[in-house]
Amino acid sequence: MWKFIVRRLFVTFPQIVILSVIIFILAQMMPGDALTGLIDPNIDPAAIEEQRERLGLNNPWYVQYSDWVKGVVQGDLGQSFRYKMPVSDLIEQRMINTFWLSLLTLIFTYAMAIPLGIISGRWNDTWLDRAITGYTYIGFAAPLFITALLMVWVFGFHFGWFPTGGSVAPGLTPGTFEYFISKLQHLLLPAFSMAVITTVSTVQYLRSEIIDTKQKDFIVTARAKGAPESRVYNRHIFRNSLLPIAAFFGYEISGLIGGSIFIESIFSFPGMGQLFLDSVLLRDYSVVTSVVLIFGIAAILGALLSDIILSIVDPRIRIK
Amino acid sequence: MEMNKVNADVQASDQVRSPSGFSILWREIVRDKVALISLILLILTCMFVYGISLFLDQGEIVKVDLFAIHEPPNDQFILGTDYGGRDVFGQLIIGTRNSLSIGILVTLISGTVGILLGLISGYFGGHIDNAAMRLVDFFMVLPTLMIVIVFVTIVSDYSIWSFSLIMSAFLWMGIARLIRSKALQERELDYVQASKTLGSSNFKIMFAQVLPNLSSIIIVTMTLNLAANIGIESGLSFLGFGFPESTPSLGTLISYARNPQTLEFRWWIWLPAAILILILMLAINNVGQALKRATDARQRRG
Amino acid sequence: MGKTKLMKALLALMLVLLVALAACSGDSDDGQSEGTDSGSDSGDSAEADDEGESDSESELYSIDDFNQIKTNEGEAIDGGTLTFGLVSDTAFEGTLNWNFYSGDPDAQILDWFDEALLTWDENYVYTNDGAATYEISEDGHVFTFTIGDNVNWHDGEPVTAEDWLFAHEVIGHPDYDGPRYGSDFTNIEGMEEYHAGEADTISGIKVIDDKTLEITYIQATPSLVTGSIWTYPLAKHIFGDMEVAEMSASPEVRENPIGFGPFKVESIVPGESVTMVKNEDYWRGEPNLDGVTVKVINPNVVVQELESGGVDTVSAFQVDQYPDNADMSNVEYLGRIDRSYSYIGFKLGTWDKENGEVVTDPEAKMADVNLRKAMWHAVDNTTVGERFYNGLRWNATTLIPPSHPEFHDDSNAGVSYDPEAAKQLLDEAGYVDVDGDNFRENPDGEELVINFASMSGGEVAEPLAQYYIQAWEQVGLNVQLLDGRLQEFNSFYDRVGQNGDDDPAVDIYSAAWGVGIDVDPRGLYGRDAIFNFSRYSSDKNDELLAAGVSEDAFELENRQKVYNEWQQFMIDEVPVFPTLYRSELVPVNNRVHNYYIGDGTNMYRYDIAVTQEEPIVAE
Repeated sequence: MWKFIVRRLFVTFPQIVILSVIIFILAQMMPGDALTGLIDPNIDPAAIEEQRERLGLNNPWYVQYSDWVKGVVQGDLGQSFRYKMPVSDLIEQRMINTFWLSLLTLIFTYAMAIPLGIISGRWNDTWLDRAITGYTYIGFAAPLFITALLMVWVFGFHFGWFPTGGSVAPGLTPGTFEYFISKLQHLLLPAFSMAVITTVSTVQYLRSEIIDTKQKDFIVTARAKGAPESRVYNRHIFRNSLLPIAAFFGYEISGLIGGSIFIESIFSFPGMGQLFLDSVLLRDYSVVTSVVLIFGIAAILGALLSDIILSIVDPRIRIK
Repeated sequence: MEMNKVNADVQASDQVRSPSGFSILWREIVRDKVALISLILLILTCMFVYGISLFLDQGEIVKVDLFAIHEPPNDQFILGTDYGGRDVFGQLIIGTRNSLSIGILVTLISGTVGILLGLISGYFGGHIDNAAMRLVDFFMVLPTLMIVIVFVTIVSDYSIWSFSLIMSAFLWMGIARLIRSKALQERELDYVQASKTLGSSNFKIMFAQVLPNLSSIIIVTMTLNLAANIGIESGLSFLGFGFPESTPSLGTLISYARNPQTLEFRWWIWLPAAILILILMLAINNVGQALKRATDARQRRG
Repeated sequence: MGKTKLMKALLALMLVLLVALAACSGDSDDGQSEGTDSGSDSGDSAEADDEGESDSESELYSIDDFNQIKTNEGEAIDGGTLTFGLVSDTAFEGTLNWNFYSGDPDAQILDWFDEALLTWDENYVYTNDGAATYEISEDGHVFTFTIGDNVNWHDGEPVTAEDWLFAHEVIGHPDYDGPRYGSDFTNIEGMEEYHAGEADTISGIKVIDDKTLEITYIQATPSLVTGSIWTYPLAKHIFGDMEVAEMSASPEVRENPIGFGPFKVESIVPGESVTMVKNEDYWRGEPNLDGVTVKVINPNVVVQELESGGVDTVSAFQVDQYPDNADMSNVEYLGRIDRSYSYIGFKLGTWDKENGEVVTDPEAKMADVNLRKAMWHAVDNTTVGERFYNGLRWNATTLIPPSHPEFHDDSNAGVSYDPEAAKQLLDEAGYVDVDGDNFRENPDGEELVINFASMSGGEVAEPLAQYYIQAWEQVGLNVQLLDGRLQEFNSFYDRVGQNGDDDPAVDIYSAAWGVGIDVDPRGLYGRDAIFNFSRYSSDKNDELLAAGVSEDAFELENRQKVYNEWQQFMIDEVPVFPTLYRSELVPVNNRVHNYYIGDGTNMYRYDIAVTQEEPIVAE
């Protein structure tokens, strides 16, 4: 077991290094730089050029990369050109928001997927099952951004039930109950919009898994022995079907990352996804590099986590 | 149409080896009325869109008319005009064509790369397999969407081709992994061993024998990928990292809805595109799911 | 599976869309009026047609119909809080100090809790009504400033001459990481020596006493009193012990920013919102409001936030949203002429990095002035303004916009839309179609393809660029979009030459300038200005620009004469031509009193009041 984890970690490390180089070069290749946005006749171009020189923006990429890596090793992700503050502080602010958004999305996803999947699998080919599969079909086909746009429009603006931007109402003190409630209020709609879509694959998976398991020998045996139907489901079928879902949650992280870019952009939610888009547009290289790297590491660790859980659940995988 | 051609190619080689594969797929589709309707719908849409766009001039459609801005649907403009006085219907046709073409191109390019790599990796196994799988692992964990966005900002003049290439570069891994695992199974089978002892070259075995046996699974995967790829294109355009307005796509049309005035007051600009994309993706998925069932004997309907 | 499922799926789909549609048409009924409903009911096509007609034919607006100052209705209450929507699709940066900020969103926040020591009138000339007053010496070089006795920082410490000097020392410091150090500073005696590290102090700035400061400028120009003095002090008792390089990232800038304005910052949600309470000790008097909340809102939701009373007013409002929302019941629209103009520039040379000046190339593709003037004749900016912006942007005539009424030459009509004149000019200059492809060749008979760089991003950027291309095609010029597409902001300015590396592929470009409060155009059209993207230069131009800031120009009439001449000169030479002037609209909730936009209104933020606790909601 430990050997497996160590081996996986061993592979993970060069992945992260290569990822960082690729991202760094790509970010550098974007036209313009963080100071391009300062085109303003009231600002002296010479001052901008001086800043460029001082920030090292005129150095070749490998010099900038080695400077950057030196910093990263010491836990310093560099300075945001745009926000003029350490990237790590900037990301810390945003990461908390994205973390809660992702967590709530996951909770919603499973809270919806598990009952729906179970209902649809247990009573397959009933009208309820058809309704649920119908939803999964549409959910599978509907792009996330269309769903999210409709959600904002209907629940945010038309009914006005939820706020449509930001992560918390202004002027509340962190730590108070109102603050918590306000945060939650700002999270509900974006998290739900994303969950509506991410649920789909889990529902489909669970449904077919349950239908499969229903016909397996040990279930048939259990039934033949006269075990009550509910016991058969609770004891045997669900346990068997749910375990892999628990394991997949690590893989969900990549999906959440992609989704957060759309969701945060549509809901003006100040998280990592929005920070990424802003930084690409503003050419804030150090932030772009760091955000992608952190998302990359999160995805890598998520996959690692899933692999570990899976290997515990299903020892055959370990051999790979 | 490209898709049909591929089908035909694969079909031709398939019939020699295993006559059952294709007829099973076909039979499943015909049995499943929904899938059949979806398929017909798809083919009709393709024919309609590609057919009509032959008679449409993209330059003419994106021509600005100051005196026809934001016209609601009327006799002259079936679906009205956008903020440049440009005909939405024409943009919808060309846009659907562009989106479909990108989807198909990406599916084909990424599919080809994935199949080749998966096949080689699975067939030879050992170090080659190891190296290839490390590569796949690496690409799998990349935050793809973000890297594509950065890429798009770098490539200054992108066309349908360059855009498809960028997207394909990050979408070949799934199919590679799938083909590799199937190829691993295949190579242990008797017919491969027999061919080997008969002295057939690896190349020949791989492409003339193993590949045709995997054709049905390839088609299933590619069909499902097609839907996803169309979705990704429109998503990027929506975020503003897709095509310029002079090259309309379904995504650019929907992204007009980001302007609240358009979303609220001028549905004819974005709604048809949104409905069309939903219908297209539903239809492709329906066909894909039916095909998938066909390859899975347990779920087959007949 | 079965037929039922697909039917269900489609049904559900339709339902979702119907809900959306219902929601949309519901809203449009509320928000729209008279015959301008752009047809959310798609029922009768003939009817929809009629409506479309009226929509596009009528509804022209004029900026003259808007006020800069809010009409007060009803009785103001004591206290209350105002919510200010900071419209931005990115989070604000949070560099909340005038000495360090660089983005506009930060400036919008700063305006509420900190202010300049000098205020200015509607012509942007410094007045003596502000927190400080000034006197100019006979020769115009020495300025003596006196800070009011009751001007105190939010923490109660007085704002002193030391603080003002300190701001200059920090900005001039070699480690300073903001963008403010420039010609305004190098014009101070001894500044360059200090900046280079050769002197420990700035010889031209003297602290006379606690509240009096004296600054000696090298060049005495009329520009000094229109915005070229640095009037933002930096609290030395707070920043005094800090390394200059660390100041902009310090908590004193980001978390507990300080100022001496009417409100003080209470709490900040980074990138999202700032809550402020009134500064009872404000030097003009106690503000009417209890506090102000500034929150970032996405440009896409501005209208909804205003309708629902989520914000009282906003920092920016896109004029193209106005026609659809002109009769929003709970707001009044304030408006003024924006200090900016759009223009089209012709590339006439390159930038010499070595000497820091433009090199005009007489052989350039666009070097023929008749070609340039013909291209101006060919575009119908009046119609563009009416069609794309409902008259809220309008045909521009000269390079000094009417936002500077003292210097904008009203009597100069610029170059009018006249395609026939354009054709004639081209014919006479030898640009004729030789090979019969309907496009003119250049006088040497070679094919003429003009590459047009245009920026993406604006709401109608693409159709606008297409329109210009079509208009030029009408007079027989083959203009192509550079790379066949719009350029994204960063690449656009890179290629047009913001670093001096002009892309030779660009022949013409369209861009816009925001004009500083000082009218002096040297920064945009001078020989040594890198922002002079057209790379045009001539002796006459140099002469006029210099005359505009000479000591003679202290006489307003002289300066007006010079700039009128310059405006005409640029029309004759057409290195660039202005296309549209712009207006700025700001909707303000009806409960707000004493709100104003623009300069020289003689109103200040501490006057602002509200008539009820909550914003009025749209009917």
